[in-house]
Amino acid sequence: MAASVRYLLKPWTPSLCFVRWSRYNPYYLDPDPSKDAVPESELSPEQKELQELKTVRPIKAALSSDTSSPFNDPLMSKFINMMMEDGNKILARGIMTQTLETIKRRQVEKYHKSPAAKREEVECNPYAIFHQALENCKPIIGLASVQKGGKFYQVPVPLTDNRRRFLAMKWLITECRDNKHRRTHMYEKLSQELLAAFANEGNVVKRKQDLHKMAEANRAYAHYRWW
Amino acid sequence: MSGSAIQDKVARLLSKQYGKPAMKAAKPLALKNEVANRKLKKGEATCVTEMSLLMACWKQNDFNNALCSKEVSTFYTCVEKAQIKAKGQQGTQGRLLPKEANTLLKRFPNLASEI
Repeated sequence: MAASVRYLLKPWTPSLCFVRWSRYNPYYLDPDPSKDAVPESELSPEQKELQELKTVRPIKAALSSDTSSPFNDPLMSKFINMMMEDGNKILARGIMTQTLETIKRRQVEKYHKSPAAKREEVECNPYAIFHQALENCKPIIGLASVQKGGKFYQVPVPLTDNRRRFLAMKWLITECRDNKHRRTHMYEKLSQELLAAFANEGNVVKRKQDLHKMAEANRAYAHYRWW
Repeated sequence: MSGSAIQDKVARLLSKQYGKPAMKAAKPLALKNEVANRKLKKGEATCVTEMSLLMACWKQNDFNNALCSKEVSTFYTCVEKAQIKAKGQQGTQGRLLPKEANTLLKRFPNLASEI
């Protein structure tokens, strides 16, 4: 009874807060949240042009998840957003932190167990492992469904960088959600998959290889593309 | 052919005075305030040679990407160049693009009736 009454006394905060709208006029430039400024002499002519453009053109508002700290990693942010469900960013970030910790623990254990000669090969930085694992999961060629003469053919097609990154992350997340024992936590399974992908093994890399094999099998239809 | 001559001819085609009318006006005989979207040239598949080289390399090395890194990088450069070329080609022929024409017609339409 007292708790319900006390609830009425807390200060009013708006339940909705404004969020940066994602659709901007293409005239607007992307923000750069990093603090370190490269000195003028080290910039290439294109980068100098970009700097000059930034003084003239309007810039989009920064997302609340983009910080100027050195720990801000856009790839990591994208992965966390993809893992997030129902807007529960706290849970997604927690899972990611636990994953990185598990990876670090495993690698440090491996480091100490290995002989002195092999110690330098063991990668202990979980961020480096994450980046390399994602690179190993990215497909190079994809398949597109093209209609020709009433039938649909799977045509090998080059993919854009964004599409490749998206596919790698999607495969990783679906693999970790579906193919696990019901009692293993997400972070455990994710860490296992990331370490396997880092070593070019595991189900995600196998899925990428299967896609490549399908593309290779259908290479005769490559001319059905018109773009 | 001037405007009034066209109107007269159309009136004669539609009239029932001289037997059966030559045509039936199913849709209003006036230009729409938009242009059809079409591409004159039919494109062709880009980077097919690089792709076939890459696939040959894969076949030899059992789909190991580490050994095929050179073919992979050539394929990527080819794809980038093709994308830039495709973007640059769009508006440079001297004609107005259908999209641009539609935007202009929306802003300055042909008025069908006076309101």
